[in-house]
Amino acid sequence: MCCQGCRAAAEWIEQLGLSDYYALRTAAAQKPARDADPETHDYWQTDNARHVIRDLGDGLRESLLLVEGVRCTACVWLIERSLGAMPGVMSVQVNAVAQRARVIWRDSKISLPQLLQGLARTGYHALPLDARGLDDLRRRESRGALKRLLVAGFGAMQAMMFATAIYLGAAASLDASTRDLLRWLGLMVATPVVFYSARPFFAGAWRSIKTKRIGMDVPVALAIAAVYAASVIEALRGSGEVYFDSISMFVFFLLAGRYLEMRARHRSCDLTDALARLWPPFADRKRDDGTLQRVGIHELRVGDCVRVGEGGIVPADGVLLTERCRVDEALLSGESAPVTKRCGELLIAGSVLEDGPVLVRIERTGADTTLAGIAALVGRASAARPQLQRAGELAAGRFVTRVLALTALTAAVWAVVDPARAFSAAIAVLVISCPCAFARAVPAALTRALGALARRGVLVVKPDAIQSLAECTHAMFDKTGTLTEVSLSADVQTFGGVSRDDALSLAATVARESRHPIARAIAAAHPGMQGASVSGVSTQAGLGVSATIGGRALRLGRADFALRKMGARENDEAVLLADDSGPIAAFRVTERLRPDACAAIDALRARGMTVLIASGDAPSKVASIAARLNVAWRARLLPADKLAWVAELRAGGALVLAVGDGVNDAPVLAGADLGVALAEGAELTQASGDIVLKGARLDAIASARDIAQQTLAIVRQNQRWALYYNFSAVPLAALGFVPPWLAALGMSLSSLGVILNALRIGRDETTRRPASQPQAPEETSPRAAAA
Amino acid sequence: MNILLLLIPLSLLFVAGAVWVFFWAVNHGQFDDLETPGLLPLDDSEKRRAPPS
Repeated sequence: MCCQGCRAAAEWIEQLGLSDYYALRTAAAQKPARDADPETHDYWQTDNARHVIRDLGDGLRESLLLVEGVRCTACVWLIERSLGAMPGVMSVQVNAVAQRARVIWRDSKISLPQLLQGLARTGYHALPLDARGLDDLRRRESRGALKRLLVAGFGAMQAMMFATAIYLGAAASLDASTRDLLRWLGLMVATPVVFYSARPFFAGAWRSIKTKRIGMDVPVALAIAAVYAASVIEALRGSGEVYFDSISMFVFFLLAGRYLEMRARHRSCDLTDALARLWPPFADRKRDDGTLQRVGIHELRVGDCVRVGEGGIVPADGVLLTERCRVDEALLSGESAPVTKRCGELLIAGSVLEDGPVLVRIERTGADTTLAGIAALVGRASAARPQLQRAGELAAGRFVTRVLALTALTAAVWAVVDPARAFSAAIAVLVISCPCAFARAVPAALTRALGALARRGVLVVKPDAIQSLAECTHAMFDKTGTLTEVSLSADVQTFGGVSRDDALSLAATVARESRHPIARAIAAAHPGMQGASVSGVSTQAGLGVSATIGGRALRLGRADFALRKMGARENDEAVLLADDSGPIAAFRVTERLRPDACAAIDALRARGMTVLIASGDAPSKVASIAARLNVAWRARLLPADKLAWVAELRAGGALVLAVGDGVNDAPVLAGADLGVALAEGAELTQASGDIVLKGARLDAIASARDIAQQTLAIVRQNQRWALYYNFSAVPLAALGFVPPWLAALGMSLSSLGVILNALRIGRDETTRRPASQPQAPEETSPRAAAA
Repeated sequence: MNILLLLIPLSLLFVAGAVWVFFWAVNHGQFDDLETPGLLPLDDSEKRRAPPS
């Protein structure tokens, strides 16, 4: 056992007879990072939770929880067991892959906070997701796709059976009436395939025609409609060829490809989409007496005063009351450079505060602003199409135009040479060169890669990141809170007869205003002063935080900052709390290297990357960490210095990957070619960066890089293959050597091949569990050890 | 060949039946989660509750 908490948990598990957990689990559980935020629990106590609960009537309530840390059967089992055992819980369904639990309970017996607390005791931190969605949209989509696929499959089988009978009957002497009967039967089974299964193609083609952009659904829909119409006419006339079998097969293979792709997309969405839905529904409202109250965003009224912390998201449109601040409105305007706002200017909901904290007076509330913010966040994850994909789409668009032109040309030439074969040759060209393989080459690989990465705890926020990840040459790590974990040492030095408790209380109250890892460690060490009125808060990145408490101006941070003696080097390693009359207390912070830091850095180096540490901390501390990791370093860097270093490296031709906690080094992450933020829990949504590492697993970076490289390789492979296929097949089709059924088969198989190739991404076991640690002995229960 | 007049409608009936059964299964959530049930047989405890409806 590593601590008292683990012992308690293990005993609790043993008592409940749940020790099978240890036998069942396939991966050692991760240590819980810290206790659940008590404020969050208070939050769910109130009726603020309404929008995450769906009322099923008859006293039943349903909610969808995102459970962090579900990774195997054991987790599913444990969650279903522990929740299911609670009185009043009617049903629990856990989806291990999506990390979601759907819970139905009886309202009179148990409440949502109790459920969450029960789960927290088991060690899983759960966050309710927005109940409105409850995945209905996605479920409808996947059910619809499955039904269409099946109808097309049955239709294709039947149509082929009748077609075979006709072909064989043509050899033997089949009398005309039987042949006509078989053709009518073919029409009968192909009709639902065309009108039900193929509807998405027609809808897609119609959409792209309406927007005046030629998508790849256009030639597909055109081919299906033309072949079907021609076959119906032939069947009515009772002469010529019918192609009901070819067309059903064509639709079936196309749908099969799309179904596989849809599943890959849903898997990758499961996690990234949760990121968007977890929009922090809180705001800190300032009461009249100056204290803060945590309320749900939907409770905000016009005229309310709201405090937004550094790195926080503006909850609703409002006017800035603080003198000035910088905000990132990239989510809304697409402009990535932070904008400086002055007192009295409007802040838009959903913009991210770069420095803070600030006060905002709410001007507009209600659905419009909140929804705008949520939409912006969802958009952050999905709407930004990566450059790779845009290039692919452009190429596919040009390709479609050429295919249509080529089809017309083929038809025209054959009409002169041999009118009887014009139709079949033109159809063959149209079908065989459907740019599906071409158009699918990039998105199929990308969606698969996003899913594979998300399963490893690597959430890609900006899909362009995959390309930069594969190509980056330098990795720059922040130290505090990234490579190391921070805790406050018990040894507090006080000045001027202040008691240790008072000093801690003051420091914790100030530290609450900042999100720096050291400030958090201090804030965690003491509950702070309750109900104290804190004003004039300002944080200086890399230096410290200052605030006025009860008329006393306090500064907490680096010695030179706290004592207002810039450049002073005295008492370098301590964090100082001071007011205008001098120092109050000095805190020592102990740092521990994260357990996976060494392995992660070695893995990156083994992949040929240069690893660097850029820290704002004292040189002696940075040096000792850097020596253990054997990497180059620079210390005492302010964010601007770090940025300058990044610029210097980039000028030398390097592609820089910056790793930080995503809040304090947001500018550096934004300035590097690729920003990787470590985050967990509700902070996921607030972390800036192109990639977010869930649960702060550094070792995921190296394997993510492998997957990114594999993705790029497969994209190139796919594009080359699609090109070769088209170059070799189209001339044959244009010359009339390819019957329509062969064209349909060739085209469907080529796009299916592209999708199956893309599904290989992340399959490899070696990239899946790069750091599968052997089970530590203390984590094996006696029973499992005996077994 | 007259047997075809019986067999073909029969096969179409079977197909219609199969499609109907499949649609029923899809609409009742049998295909919604294809991963988790695969993990459940690994749980060999006997008291496992019936899956929630």
